[in-house]
Amino acid sequence: MSLKELSSLEKALGLKKPNKYSTQGDRKVPVLQSINGPALVGLVTIATHLVQEAKQPELLGGSAEHKAVVQQWLEYRVTKVDGCHKEDIKTILKDLNSYLEDKVYLAGNQFTLADTLMYYGIHHVIVDLAVQEKEKYMNMTRWFDHVQHYPGVRHHLPPVVVLRNRVYTSGHH
Amino acid sequence: ANMEGQKAKRSVHNLGKSQYGTRLESDMALYRPTVAPVLTSELGVASPNERAPADAYCIVVIVLGKQCFLVLRQQQFNVQALVAVGERASKQMVKFAANINKESIVDVEAVVKKVEQTIESCSQQDVELHIERIFVVSQAEPRLPLQLEDCVRPEGEGDEDGRATVNQDTRLDNRVIDLRTTTSQAIFRLQSGVCQLFRDTLTNKGFVEIQTPKIISAASEGGANVFTVSYFKTSAYLAQSPQLYKQMCICADFDKVFCVGPVFRAEDSNTHRHLTEFVGLDIELAFNYHYHEVIESITDTMVQIFKGLRDKFQTEIQTVGKQYPSEPFKFLEPTLRLEYSEGVAMLREAGVEMGDEEDLSTPNEKLLGRLVKEKYDTDFYVLDKYPLAVRPFYTMPDPNDKKYSNSYDMFMRGEEILSGAQRIHDAQLLTERAMHHNIDLEKIKSYIDSFRYGAPPHGGGGIGLERVCMLYLGLHNVRQTSMFPRDPKRLTP
Repeated sequence: MSLKELSSLEKALGLKKPNKYSTQGDRKVPVLQSINGPALVGLVTIATHLVQEAKQPELLGGSAEHKAVVQQWLEYRVTKVDGCHKEDIKTILKDLNSYLEDKVYLAGNQFTLADTLMYYGIHHVIVDLAVQEKEKYMNMTRWFDHVQHYPGVRHHLPPVVVLRNRVYTSGHH
Repeated sequence: ANMEGQKAKRSVHNLGKSQYGTRLESDMALYRPTVAPVLTSELGVASPNERAPADAYCIVVIVLGKQCFLVLRQQQFNVQALVAVGERASKQMVKFAANINKESIVDVEAVVKKVEQTIESCSQQDVELHIERIFVVSQAEPRLPLQLEDCVRPEGEGDEDGRATVNQDTRLDNRVIDLRTTTSQAIFRLQSGVCQLFRDTLTNKGFVEIQTPKIISAASEGGANVFTVSYFKTSAYLAQSPQLYKQMCICADFDKVFCVGPVFRAEDSNTHRHLTEFVGLDIELAFNYHYHEVIESITDTMVQIFKGLRDKFQTEIQTVGKQYPSEPFKFLEPTLRLEYSEGVAMLREAGVEMGDEEDLSTPNEKLLGRLVKEKYDTDFYVLDKYPLAVRPFYTMPDPNDKKYSNSYDMFMRGEEILSGAQRIHDAQLLTERAMHHNIDLEKIKSYIDSFRYGAPPHGGGGIGLERVCMLYLGLHNVRQTSMFPRDPKRLTP
């Protein structure tokens, strides 16, 4: 799963030469062996490296505070979203929904790596949500629809249908 | 209590002069009120000064100093009444009134007085009764199994104060009391209206009402969900629908028929919309050129019912809405009709994956209902041309496309209320389709025979009275619209 993500990320960043990745351990943590230097282990580490390789540091945040927020969501993705149990999904959706109430992207008003990786990570949950649930987590769904249409991001993932109009009124149970 | 008893006994002899007491059956022959009884619903500022309401239920007794306040109720209407120490009433009479148990039936003679401040809590808000004589006709037991004010409390209200709502099972176990609530009274009056409108509309269209047998020799819709009864030395079944008999009436040259009667389904479904016994309103008619004539006849009947309810039962709709708020029911004229394939396309657009000939699951039906509501702004619509594979054996296939059939479902608020179709009226085709469905031809021999001697093309459908009422009012459980519901877990009251 992570390998597909990384290959999509490379395409999204416009990197011409795809890297060769390997995995380690039961949890299939991705590894990138570099020619001159230590191996890079872990999705976030490798992704960050790719962003720098593509010379798009703005994707990691502008100000120091901004950078910290991006790191926070990257960590959330790897620790909370990956390998989460069914019971945790509701909490994650609620968290994202309330956080995104007044923000366009995860790090505020700017598209960053946090959005891409969160999109890749949470796609398998969103694709199975019923229309009513998507409307319940309105802000999260709005963000998701926005990111999946962001040029160059989607790649390996099928599009999730998001209706333009609300079908369930607020009084609906 | 003893004193009261003695007083009551004495009053038998001079009943005409006594002012209060418990009235015994033996007294009834002697008692004549001084004025004609009046209904609580008629009490208002225009009422002349002295009236006697007919027997009413006494629902609340509050004592304040030298006065006793009561609320008297008849069906959906209630009025405040008062017994005060003074010219009209003695201290003992006020004490008697204060000791009347809630829900007792009382007979009262009172003077109707205009009040300065509107009495918000009663239906008759501009007047109160100053009681001159009060008799208990039937005493209720002091401990009631449930409190009426708890029964009409909307969900969620009063949660902070710790005031309860009553759960459904308790209500159903004590149905006689639960049915007295304003909400229940309104629901079942509306239901009576649905039956009346159904009959009147169809009679005006030239339909004949028929009665069909409920004890039958073979399961009409398939063997699984049928109740068996012992029938002398053999067994018989309770009819799952009047289907076969409706059709036989058409073959018997009755042209257009309808019937209202019980339907028995031994389905072990414990859902909000299934009952094991419900009232079926069924229609069957012969048509001239195209089965859409049948659809039009049915949808027009439904629209007349909706209009009749909207125009004549607003009070009831509002009363139910106080406890169970919902959006008013919307429908289009002419009724919206979509083809099954269009419905599938709408669902696919919303991200649902399903096959062309796949049946609609309940969640998909509901979602389609929401999509239709959003797009066309209607709570009532028809889905036409269902795939043949998912319909019963007697459904007429579509002559232009053998994957589909001349059958249709109708929906209210996204839930199915009617399943109907053009029926096969040719014995040979019917035999072929039955064999295709692996049905034992011996069991349906007399059914197939009805079509051997000249049968017109015909179609129809049936609705469930309880489900239609539930969905029209926007309620969420069919037991609320069934007076004494039957389900896999309930056989009483």
